[in-house]
Amino acid sequence: MPSLPDIAPLAPSDAAAAPADDILIIEDVFKSFPGVEAVRGFSARIRRQEVVVIMGPSGSGKSTLLRCLNGLEQADSGLIIVDGIPLDDNHAHRLEIRQETGMVFQSFNLFPHLTVLENINLAPMRVRHKSEQEATARSMELLGMVGIADKASSYPAHLSGGQQQRVAIARALAMSPKIMLFDEPTSALDPEMINEVLDVMKDLARAGMTMVVVTHEMGFAREVADRIILMDSGSIVETGTPDTFFTNPREERTRRFLSQIL
Amino acid sequence: MIAQKVRFRLLDAIIVVALLGLAGWVYYRIAYGIEYKANWGVIPQYLLRRDGATGRLVANYLVEGLLTTLRLSVWSTLLAMLVGVLVALSRTSSSLFWRLVGGAYVETIRNLPPLVLIFIFYYFVIDQLMPLLGLDALLSSRSMGALRAIAWLFADPSLLTQLISGVITLAFFQGAYISEILRAGILSIERGQREAAWSLGLSKLDTMRFVIMPQVVRRVLPALANEFVNTIKYSSIASVVSIQELTFMGRQVVVATRAIFETWITVSLMYMTLTLTLSLFTSRLEQRLRARD
Repeated sequence: MPSLPDIAPLAPSDAAAAPADDILIIEDVFKSFPGVEAVRGFSARIRRQEVVVIMGPSGSGKSTLLRCLNGLEQADSGLIIVDGIPLDDNHAHRLEIRQETGMVFQSFNLFPHLTVLENINLAPMRVRHKSEQEATARSMELLGMVGIADKASSYPAHLSGGQQQRVAIARALAMSPKIMLFDEPTSALDPEMINEVLDVMKDLARAGMTMVVVTHEMGFAREVADRIILMDSGSIVETGTPDTFFTNPREERTRRFLSQIL
Repeated sequence: MIAQKVRFRLLDAIIVVALLGLAGWVYYRIAYGIEYKANWGVIPQYLLRRDGATGRLVANYLVEGLLTTLRLSVWSTLLAMLVGVLVALSRTSSSLFWRLVGGAYVETIRNLPPLVLIFIFYYFVIDQLMPLLGLDALLSSRSMGALRAIAWLFADPSLLTQLISGVITLAFFQGAYISEILRAGILSIERGQREAAWSLGLSKLDTMRFVIMPQVVRRVLPALANEFVNTIKYSSIASVVSIQELTFMGRQVVVATRAIFETWITVSLMYMTLTLTLSLFTSRLEQRLRARD
C-alpha cells in the first residue's frame, strides 16, 4: 500500500482560511474552448483521504475540470489550490502541483518505448532524483500491489488494456502523490477487464488516498465514494453521499440522469 | 511478410532478354561505336600506390577522396542532426518568435539550389567566419601528435579550412531537411504522451528528451536514414569549391588518365560501398527497434 505523507500545514494565502483538512480547493473555475463553455463556475473543497466521484453526461465538462486541476488545461478564471500551492502563472507551482497529483487517463498513455519498469521509474528518477535501485525497489513494490510484478520487463504493447491501466496507476503512485485524479479510467477497457482496475482503485481508496474520479461506474461510486458530484453543462447539479444520491436525489436532473444509466 | 513462391513466367523471360539486349547494345556502342578502348589497368594505381621511401602501400587519390568524403559526411551529418533537432524544436515551440525563425531558415534553404548555397556559404564562411575561429593560431600551437590526430579526424591542416566550411555548408543544408522530418515526427506523437509526462511532473525538457524524442527517432528512422544517404551523395557538390573528396579526385584522375568510364564507374562503386553499408546498418537498426512493439 502506498504510504501516505504526513499532513503538511497549508501555506498562507487568501483562500487558506479554510480548515487545514481541505487538500484541494476549487473556487468558481471557468474554462471555455472556442465555441464551447466547458466548465462554468465550478466550486468544491475536497478533504484529505476523501474519495469524490464526478458523474455527468458526456460533454458536461467533468474531464475538462479534472484536467484543470493539474494544469493540463489552464482555467480561464477561478482559483485552484492543491495542498496549499496555488495553481497560477508561476511555472514552479505548476510543476510542484503535478508532482503532488497523480493522473490516470482513459487511454492509459503508457510510454510505448519503455518497459513497464522503466515507465514507472522514469519520473522518480528524473524528478525526485532517486537512484535506479531505490526507484526500482519502490516500483516493484507498486507492481506487486497492482498484481503484475511478473510484467516488469515487458513493453506496454504486450499487455492487455487492464494490465496497462494498472501499470499507469502504479506509474502515477510512484511519485507518492497526495491526490490521485482518474479520468474515466475504465471507459476504454473491455468489460472483463474493468473489475481488475476498479479493484486496484478500491484498495487505494481504502488505504486512505485522496481521489477525484470521473467515471460512469455506479458500483464503484456506491461502494467507495464519500461524495458524488453530478455535473451538467459545466456546473454542479447535485452533491451528495452515495446513499442520498442514488436513493433519494433532490434534483429532477439527477433522477433523469440516473434513470438513463441504471 | 508473407513468403510468396517466385514463378518465372513468359513475361519475365521477355524482360530478361530485353535487358540483356540493352546491356549488349550499350557495351557494343562503347566498345566499337565510339571507339573507346577500356583500360582498367590504370585504375588500381590511383587507389593505392607504393610509397617511394618506405615501399609500403598507401592511399592514393581515389582512396584519399573516399576518406575525405567519409569525413565530410560524418561530421556534416552529426552537425546536421544538431541543427535539425534545434530547428525542429523551435518550429514546434509555443513561442511565435522561434517558430518564425525556424520557418524562415527552413524555407530559405529548401527553396535554393544546393549548388548556389554552397557558393554563398563557402565564400561567406571562408572569408568571414574562419578568421573569427582563429584556426591558424590554434593549429600553429599544436604538437605533432595533435596535428596528426586532426589530419586523421578532419583533414590535413592545410586543407582544414576548406573541409570545415564544407561541413558547415552541408550541415546547414541537410539540417533543414532533417528538421522537417523531425518536426513531422514530433507532431505525430499523440498528445496523451506529453500529457502523461507532464502530469508526472516531468519538465518540458525531460519530456522531450525521455518521452517524445525517443519515439520520434523510432518513427522517422527510415526517413532519417534516407537523409543520411543524401548527405553522402550531396557531399559530391563540395568538389566545386575544391574540397578534395571523391568526386573531385575522380575528375583529377580522369584528367590524368582520360579513362572516363573506368574512373567514374570506380567512383560510383566507391560511393555505393558507403551508401549501401549505411542503408544496411540502418535497416538492421530499424528491425531491432521494431522488435519491441
